Parts: sequence; C-alpha cells; structure tokens
Amino acid sequence: MMRWALLLSLVLVMASAARAADSIDGNTLFEQHIRPVLVERCYECHSAQAKKLKGKLHLDSKQGIAQGGADGKILVQGQPEKSRLIEALKWTDPDLQMPPKQQLSAEQIHWFEEWIKLGAPDPREGSTSAVPASAPKRGMDLETGRKWWAFQPVKEIAPPDVKDSAWASRKSDQFVLAKLEEAGLKPSPKADRRTLIRRAYLDLTGLRPSYEQVEAFAKDDSPNAYEKLIDQLLASQHYGERWGRYWLDVARYGEDNPTSEATNPPYPFAWRYRDWVIKAMNDDVPYDRFVKLQLAADEMPGTSRQDLVALGFLGAGPVYHKDARNSKDVITTLYCDDWDERIDTVTRGFLGLTVACARCHDHKFDPITSKDYYALQGVFASVCQVPRPMAEVDPQTETRFMAAEQRLFYLSYAANLLRGEPGSKPKEARQKVERLAGEMDQIMEDMSFLKSQHSDMYAQLQQLARRPQPYPQRPTTQPVQPIADVQPAPRRGRPNANAGAGAGANAFGNRRRRGRGGSTAPFFEAVFDAGTYIDGSDQDFTMVNIRPGEARNMPVLPGGNPARPGEISPRRFIAVLSRDDSTFHEGSGRRELGERIFTDAAPLAARVIVNRVWAWHFGKPIVATQSDFGVQGDKPTHPQLLDDLSARFIAHDWSLKWLHKEIMLSAACQQASNPRDDAMRADPTNELIWRMNPRRLDAEAFRDCILQASGALDTTMFGISMDLDQPGNNRRTVYARIGRGRLNNYLQLFDFPEATMHSPGREVTTTPLQQLFVMNSAFMEDQASNLAEVVEKVPQGDRIAMMYRKVFGRDPGPSEVKLGADYLAGGGTLAQYAQALLSSNEVQFWP
Amino acid sequence: MALIPGLSRRQFIQSIGAGLGTVGLMGMLAEQSAAASVAPAVHRVGPMFPPRAKHNIFLFLPGGPSQVDMFDPKPSLAKYAGQRPNSVNLRTERTTGGLYPSPFKFQKYGKNGVDVSELLPNLASIIDDICVVKSMYTFNPTHTPARALFHSGNIAATRPSMGSWISYGLGTENQNLPGFVVLGPGGGGGPGLRSGFLPARYQGTPIDDSQTRPQSMIRNLRNTQLDPAAQRRQLDLVQALNRGHERAFGRDEYLEGRIQAMETAYHMQFEAMDAFDVSSEPQAVREAYGSSPFANGCLLARRLVERGVRTVHVYYGPGQPWDDHSKINNNLRNRCPDMDKASAALITDLKQRGLLDETAVVWGGEFGRTPVSESGDGRDHNPYGFTMFMAGGGFKGGISYGQTDEFGFKAVENPVSIHDLHATLLYVLGIDHEKLTYRYAGRDFRLTDVYGQVMHDLLT
Repeated sequence: MMRWALLLSLVLVMASAARAADSIDGNTLFEQHIRPVLVERCYECHSAQAKKLKGKLHLDSKQGIAQGGADGKILVQGQPEKSRLIEALKWTDPDLQMPPKQQLSAEQIHWFEEWIKLGAPDPREGSTSAVPASAPKRGMDLETGRKWWAFQPVKEIAPPDVKDSAWASRKSDQFVLAKLEEAGLKPSPKADRRTLIRRAYLDLTGLRPSYEQVEAFAKDDSPNAYEKLIDQLLASQHYGERWGRYWLDVARYGEDNPTSEATNPPYPFAWRYRDWVIKAMNDDVPYDRFVKLQLAADEMPGTSRQDLVALGFLGAGPVYHKDARNSKDVITTLYCDDWDERIDTVTRGFLGLTVACARCHDHKFDPITSKDYYALQGVFASVCQVPRPMAEVDPQTETRFMAAEQRLFYLSYAANLLRGEPGSKPKEARQKVERLAGEMDQIMEDMSFLKSQHSDMYAQLQQLARRPQPYPQRPTTQPVQPIADVQPAPRRGRPNANAGAGAGANAFGNRRRRGRGGSTAPFFEAVFDAGTYIDGSDQDFTMVNIRPGEARNMPVLPGGNPARPGEISPRRFIAVLSRDDSTFHEGSGRRELGERIFTDAAPLAARVIVNRVWAWHFGKPIVATQSDFGVQGDKPTHPQLLDDLSARFIAHDWSLKWLHKEIMLSAACQQASNPRDDAMRADPTNELIWRMNPRRLDAEAFRDCILQASGALDTTMFGISMDLDQPGNNRRTVYARIGRGRLNNYLQLFDFPEATMHSPGREVTTTPLQQLFVMNSAFMEDQASNLAEVVEKVPQGDRIAMMYRKVFGRDPGPSEVKLGADYLAGGGTLAQYAQALLSSNEVQFWP
Repeated sequence: MALIPGLSRRQFIQSIGAGLGTVGLMGMLAEQSAAASVAPAVHRVGPMFPPRAKHNIFLFLPGGPSQVDMFDPKPSLAKYAGQRPNSVNLRTERTTGGLYPSPFKFQKYGKNGVDVSELLPNLASIIDDICVVKSMYTFNPTHTPARALFHSGNIAATRPSMGSWISYGLGTENQNLPGFVVLGPGGGGGPGLRSGFLPARYQGTPIDDSQTRPQSMIRNLRNTQLDPAAQRRQLDLVQALNRGHERAFGRDEYLEGRIQAMETAYHMQFEAMDAFDVSSEPQAVREAYGSSPFANGCLLARRLVERGVRTVHVYYGPGQPWDDHSKINNNLRNRCPDMDKASAALITDLKQRGLLDETAVVWGGEFGRTPVSESGDGRDHNPYGFTMFMAGGGFKGGISYGQTDEFGFKAVENPVSIHDLHATLLYVLGIDHEKLTYRYAGRDFRLTDVYGQVMHDLLT
C-alpha cells in the first residue's frame, strides 16, 4: 500500500511546503551549477536512465540524493566537510573517486560545497527516481506472471497413496496423511465426543452446547451422529451470526469513520448490511453471488430490494474528511485515499492480491501494473456513497433522490461551514452562503413531489438540507478590512472551536442530529453510479460535484501525485488475470468487476476463500498470508489439498455450507488437539496438521459464552446496534456497535481488528489488561452474580456441580469439588466462586 | 482463533516481548525455538545501537501554538502590519488578511541568546536545557490530517503512531505498567495512540489526567468487591483450576501465558495505583507543576518514566485549545502561564532527579500559526514553518536551530520536517528509522516511510 503517495503528492501540490528548504538563491544555484553537472556527469550511473544503477544511488531526484546509496547517506546538510559526496568529488579517498574517469573542475566542486552549505536545496519535483512508474520493472512481466501458481486453474486431483488406509474420512484427509507419512508422523487420535461437540458448536455457532446436549451426544452411538450434529448446526440461525462476523472482518465493517467529521459523518444504516450478511450466510448464498451482490447488487438483474442492502460493503466504506477550504489537489488526494481503500479491500479481500502497492509505481514483485491500479480506481471514482430507500421505487426517481441526497449534503456542509467560519472575506462568504442555501431550497422544491408518495424519502432530504443560521437583520455595510487593528463584529453562532475533535467537526453544525447510534429510518447505506468530480475553480472553496450515470476513466498518477496526471487507464480488470480484453463498459464497471473476479480470476478467488474458511476452522491457514497470494506471500503448505478443495468448492456451486461440512467431517478436523512430544519436536507449529490446533475464543465468542453461562444471553437476532458498554446490553457481540474512530474498549482489549481496513486474520494477544477486565469489570461481576442467583436455587450440595454444568457443560471431578467446597467454606461467596470459574482458562480455551 | 492465526510463527516470535506479561510465553517459545532449531531472523527487541535516551515524553499542544508569539520574533510584522506582501500568499486552511504583529516582547536568554517571549518566563529561565527548532514544517493545513502526520508520519488511518513503533522496537521496562501511555483530559485518543497495522498490544493506553484518582484513570484497575487478600484467595483458586486444566490437556503456550498474565494483572493493580497517584507527591513538587490537568499530566509523565514506562504523551486539552482563529492574544495570555509553568517544571524535575539525560522531551503542536491575521485578531493554521522544542535525551541545550522567512511563515534555513523529527527521535532512542520495519499488505513499512533524516546538528 503506497499510501505515502498521499504525502508525497501533498508535498508537491502544497506549493511551498516541499520547497520550504529553498531560498530563491539556493534554487538558482542548483539550477545553474548543480543540476547540469549531475545530468552530464552523474546520471549515466546514478539515475533511472542508468543502464545499470551503481551503488544503489539515485542522483536524479531530491529523494535519491537525500536517501544516499548502498553505503548510506552522501551528504550532511550544511556541512560539506562531512559529506561523502564532496569527499568523492575531491578524490581524497583512493577508493571513492567520482566521477571515476575525470574529476570535476575545482570551480564545480566549489559550487557543490556552497550548495551543501545552503542545506542542499533541491527544487526537483516528482516521485523519487528510485521508484518511477517508468523504471525498468523489477516485478514480473505479464507472460511470467500468468504462470504464477495462484493464477493457475484449479482442478480436482487424484489423492496420493497412503499407507494407513483406515484413517481418512474425506478426500482432503489423504493429502494431509500423505504429508504426515512422508515426515514419519502419525495423526492424533480422534477427539473424545464431549470435546467434539463443544468444538463443533463453537466452530459453527460461536456458542456452547448445554450440559444436556453434550451428554446426549456423548451417549449417541449411531454411526452418523456427528454428521447429524454438523447438519443441525449448519441449519441453526446462530451459524450466520458466527460466520457473518468472520466475513465482516474481511469487509472491514464499521458504522462510522475514523474521524467522523462534517464530510464523513457516521453511517446510521450500516447495521442493515451486517444483518444482510448474517442472513446471506444462513441462506448459504453461493459465495460468488454473495460477493457480486456486495459490489453491484443494484446492477444485477432480478435482484430483490432486500439484497440491495449488500451494497453496504461499499456504501459504508471508510472515507476521510475533506475540508472544502483545502485546494483541489489536497481534496483529490483525499478522494484517491478513499478509492485506494476500496481497491485494497477488494483485491486483498477477494483476490489475495496487494494491488494497492501499484498506486505509485508498478508492483515491485507481482505482475500488477500502475495501469491495473488506475483502471480499478476509475471504477470507484465512478460511484457515489449515499443511503437508498428500503422501499421499492422507480429507478428514475431513485436516481434523482440519490443525486439530491449527495448535493444537499454537500451544499449544507458548505453553507454551514462558511456561515460559521467566514474567515477573512466575510462578505464573499455571505454571498456564497446565500447562493448555496438558494440552491438547497431549489432542490427541495424540485423534490417536493416525493412528499405525497415517498414521505420517508422527503424526510431524509429534509434532514440533510440543514439551512445555515440566518444572518442578523442589520446588513453589514462597513467595508471589510482584514487588518490587525480592526476588530470585526463578534460573530454570533460561531461554534466553540475547542469543542470538536477537528476543525471540520463544527462546520456541520447539526451533525449530532444524525447521531452516532444509528437509525431505523427505512434506508440502507449504498452506492450508485455517478462520477465524482472535484471543482477547484473557486480559489477559496473547493466543491465536489457528482454526475449520475457518468463513469470516469482515471489517469495513471506516477508517484501517486494527482497534480501530475499521466496517461488515462480505462476501467478494466487486472491484466494478468484477464483472459481477453476486459475493458468495462457498463456504468462504473462494478458488475463487470464482480463477474471477472468469478470467471477470469475464479481459481484465485476460490483459493483465497477456501483458505480463509480453512483457517477459521483449523485456526491456521494453508497459505499463511491469507490476503497475499503474491510473490511476497507464503506458499501453501498443502498445495494439492488447496487446489482440489477449491475445485470441488466451485463444482458445488461455491456453497460455503458444503465447504464447512467437508472440512468438519474430515478426520484431520476431528483429531484431538493435545500436544504430543514426538510431534511437537518434529513439527512444533503443526504445519503438517498432526493435531487439531487448540484455539482461544475470540472477543465475540468469549463474551457470548459468559452471557450464556450466566443465563443472561439475549438471543434476539438482527436490528440496530448497541454499544457493548450500554447497561443491560446482553445481546450477542455481533450486534455491538463497531466504531472506526474509537473502538469499544472490550473489543479492543480482546484483539478485535480495526475496522478502518481489511483484516486478513486476527492476531491473538494475552495481556494483563485483559485479565483486569476478567477480574474487576462490572460486566464480569454482573454475570457472576447472575450465575450465582441461578445456582443458589438448587440444594447446597448440588451447587458446585450445577455451576460446572452451566459454565463448562460438564460435571466436576472430585478434586474440583473439593477446591470449590474449600473456597466456599473459607468465606468465598457463590458469586465470587462463579467469577473464578468464569475467569478460568477452560472458559476461554477451545481445544 | 488459533493461538497464532494469520501470523507465522516467526512473526509471532517477533511480536512478543514488547507487550505486557508475555514473559512466560516468550521464555517458552524461545526454548521451543531452540529445541526445534528454528532460527528465524527475528525482530530484535531493544536498541540497535547505544541509545542516548531510554524514555520519551511528548508535550502535545493540540490546535497549533503560535510560533511568532512564543519563540520566533519577527519585527517585520510590525513594520508591514496589515499589508500582504506576495511572499505571504501561501494557501492555508482559510482565507487570511494582512500581517499581524505580535504584541509580546521578546528577550534573548541563556548562553547563546535564544529568543523567548514574555509569555514563557519559566521556559526562558531554563533555556540552556532546551533545543529550540524554529524551522519545523509539515504537509497539511488541516488539524486531523496534520495530527495524523505528526503522530504517525502519514495521513492514512491505518498507520501506527510513533509511540506504538517505539514500543514495537524497544519493548517496555516495567511489565506491570503499559509501555506507552497517553495522558489527556478525557483520556486522549485518535492517531496519537493508534497501533494501526502493528499488533494491538503496542497501542497507547489512554489515561484521563483530569482525574487524580488512579482508579478513575484506568478502567477496571480496582476490584470493588474484594480486598487484596480476598482477591488473592480468589486468584489462587483460579490458578489452581488452571493448573489442573493444563495438567489434563498438556503443555500449551496460551494456557501458560494466561496464567502469567493473571499474576501480572494482579500486581499491576497495586503498582499502577502507586504510579498514577499524583497526590502522593510532596506539596512543593505539586506546586512547582501547578494544578491544571496539563500539570498533572506532566507530573505523571515524570512518575511514569521513573518507573520504566517508555513513552508518555501529555495532551494539553481537551479539544484543541491552541487553535486560535480569533482573539489569539488574549487566549495566549490566559493559556500560556500554566503550560509554561508545568512544562518547565517537568524539565527541571527530570534534571534534578538525573532523569533528563535519559529522557527525550519534545514540545509542540501539529503545526504553527500564520503571521497573517484571520478574521482580524486570530491566526490560521501554518504547516510551512513553526517552532518545536526538545530537551534532554541527547538534544543540545540552549540552542536555536533553523530560521523561518522574514515574516515567520515558512522554514527557509535548515528546515526540519516531521519525518526528520521522527527519525531523530528514534535515533536518540537507539533505533535506525530505516531499519525498524513491519511487513503489512505486501511490503515493509516504516514510521518515516521513505523520508526522514536524523538531525545530528540538534544532538550533543
């Protein structure tokens, strides 16, 4: 992800920041005495044009000079005597004489010394030549790229021969066993039935089985008892809550923005997308369709209104705040960052490719070009994020409505900003405010036809069209003099500059009315096709305009710099994956993008999701870098297994439930997870799958299981999100509000990923702060009390056993009974005892 | 969740050691690594070369303090007051007016005659311990992106803050306290403490320094129901259950790690109660700092570095008080005294305790302010040139470095970018900013990305 492009471009476009170093004299000196010498005498070996770059040193950019070469820095600003460049030019070191064939003249060397004394000012703009778009490719060319393993077709593979013919229960087991046998390792024995049922429940629903369910399963010796259990769990509504949440990590689901300022307020309807994901999982919507709907449900014929909610994937994508007082180039760069996020999430998430690395230059390792990147940028520059109505509405009306939403939102932002903070040209600001407010009125009038038939939609527009505060009656007649000693009239209604998180936070005065808590109004976060254009014609105020139905083809931006656009790269799919001309023709191209992912790139897309699902079951992927199947990523530990399973997954119509069942019924997945000395020595990281990986409950399952044990779990499905810290919120954690600016403390503590970016897989930490939560939080104390209350109702002699059944779903052993009895006899209360059990490792552990 | 999902074993080994309470786990893994003769190129935790500083404290003035009123006197502002020469036609966030003189008197202080205005008498009196950089510059004129730049070197919301990078690079010295603490009224937040793509354990711990009771500052620090002895008894029960469970299952990294973390948490309750308790300071010390939240923050910063906390940020908040778009002169008169007093007291206190040499103190905001007026009596944001200062930790004292132009708008002599500052701070902590990397989304990232130069001129 070459996000530094942003920085670089800002350096360049902000006119003088980058040149802060340069006095005019310095620049002149550079142009007259330094640059010509560099070009004539140095570039041959030290530039992008060099046939062979020497000493890893680039002298053809400011960056290159600052970075130095293989041996480090070449100059110390202000100190020529300490600069190796001068040492080299002076030929004082016999091993360092540059240029090697003929020394520069004394005068020329003198100018270099003067130049360094001035701090080596360097007005050259543009990307560092170390990484220009035109540089010779260091990555793969297309031809070679097409041969990359991950891009090859997947086909079913005849299983290898194995010695132990009794072990395998599914085809995948034979691939696993062959590798184990090769390494001289035996698989672990099958896990006992109580472990198996607990594992299966947690795996597929994120909840524990009750004591009774465990015991019934332990006693059921029918041959297909386990398969029946898996079928039953896959049919459970809780399955979608568990597996939908996994997907939401991939889709970086969040309900607001990192800063949530005036132009990037929270998404009040994002929760509907979360609910859609849960339903889609429960319905086993084929994975290819599941993804395509999220990219372009509105452009897929025959899609129900309910399925349009899938667009929340794009509609609630994170965006940066764009203060309209910034220049066109600054605003453009911020949009480029938004689009970059989409490219990154789509390509890493669905294709396991780090396409965002090609923002500033061709990918350094993978066969992905900057043109590929900007071809995709065009897709996202051609969509606009706005809420859509839940109700059916004719397409023309809906498009008009959505365009009005965007326009009203922006006009309202701009008018309120200028009204509240007119800056030093209050008269001009007032004129603009009046013009903007006038346009808002006009739009409301044009849209007034909605009042009768679609009053919700009209109300939504009304909410967006916040008129700025009226000006005081007395017109300002004094000429405005922005000079020091003239005190302007106190500005009424200017919000307190200190109150908000950022400057823009105040501009949209009524931002809070949209609230942070979400809304149940009948809308969902979505997108529609409309090109985004940034209008910098007003020097003081940059406008953002959209053109519905108009798609944009974007230019390649070498170095990621929007101020210096290169050639246009028409919207199309990634070249190395395309089987033919993949130019997009329909609207933004979202639908075609989805199609190409599941036709041309189907083998890759299948491998990526199969690997993810495998990892969510086993706790360890086949390809360790789950979102990077490129050259820098890891190779699969079981390539044939991955290919075969992927091929069969496609053949089973991309059914995730089929895939779950195939994995869950495998012998590999039913192994015990206990450590074995011989295998720990031979393969300590369990690469060969000689056991099931012992896991730890994630934030969601841990909290849900505690609530379940205490009897407080509220299993109501769906609906508006609630903050986890809200008292009485006993719902499943999947329904928690997910903040991108400030993540809930509990979630953060237990390794929930930041929702600002695609998460390839969670890391797992074990920290003392987590244990402080377990030991001291009101949540844990409450659940312990709830549990004690339930258990107190049974006779004293049964309480410890009852507690074990509730918390662990099993009976206690004699030593455990004694520990508990001693604790209670020593003055511990039942609630304190309950909290001890809830705090113990067995609750969080998932063997 | 597997124990190591999505992370290779190597990354996992790389990532431990800097966090809290991973000691037991680390020991075991190291052991296993040796046993399995896995010898990966691990991310080494600790300085790469002898450091000048072990700790760092950032005094952060959100909003952007005005350099021409504090450290960078510009007589030309008075001379050309109200005028707008071409060279001040730099685009900032808002439309601005003519040059606006500072009403504050400057004098030269210390062995080298460093300029300080009458707003900052306490800092002026210790100027020989302070390294003033007048030629800072950054890349964005709007608060949020500029603050992200200041803290993480980048505008993108995915980037780790420098405190997180430092924790990742150096680990912590005190396993019973967080390695990176962010003090601010309301608890701070935002990009300053973000771990971004680095593992979550490197994230800064926000602490509300408008509170003075430790249990109000740190969530879940105290058990409200059990006294320490009763809690110990409860924990002994938990650990007995855990030991029994581990015997039944077999040896496991997580099971062992959590047993250790529980113990650490138990001790942390008491250690943190002490560390965060400013009321235990002698009255004279408290008076030296003052009584504002910022003063508490500065005093806490000293108490924390004393106990081995690696990085402490102190926010002058809440909100962004230094964002003086109007009435700047009055505002500065009101706001500077407690800031000046507490900042100077911190430096003096560290020095008296022999901690200043090993603690790098950095002072500043996300940018400075314009020499031209905004709305008559305010100043707009200015990323082109502004002042920051450093003290201790290998920085030279009593010097002024770099210059802005005639009006104090942009850095023209020896400019120091925000990346140079990051590179230099990492350098004094013993880290080569080009070598501290983390692999994410297909490439190795650095705090300074492809930028940054160590500013050796600022160092002893």
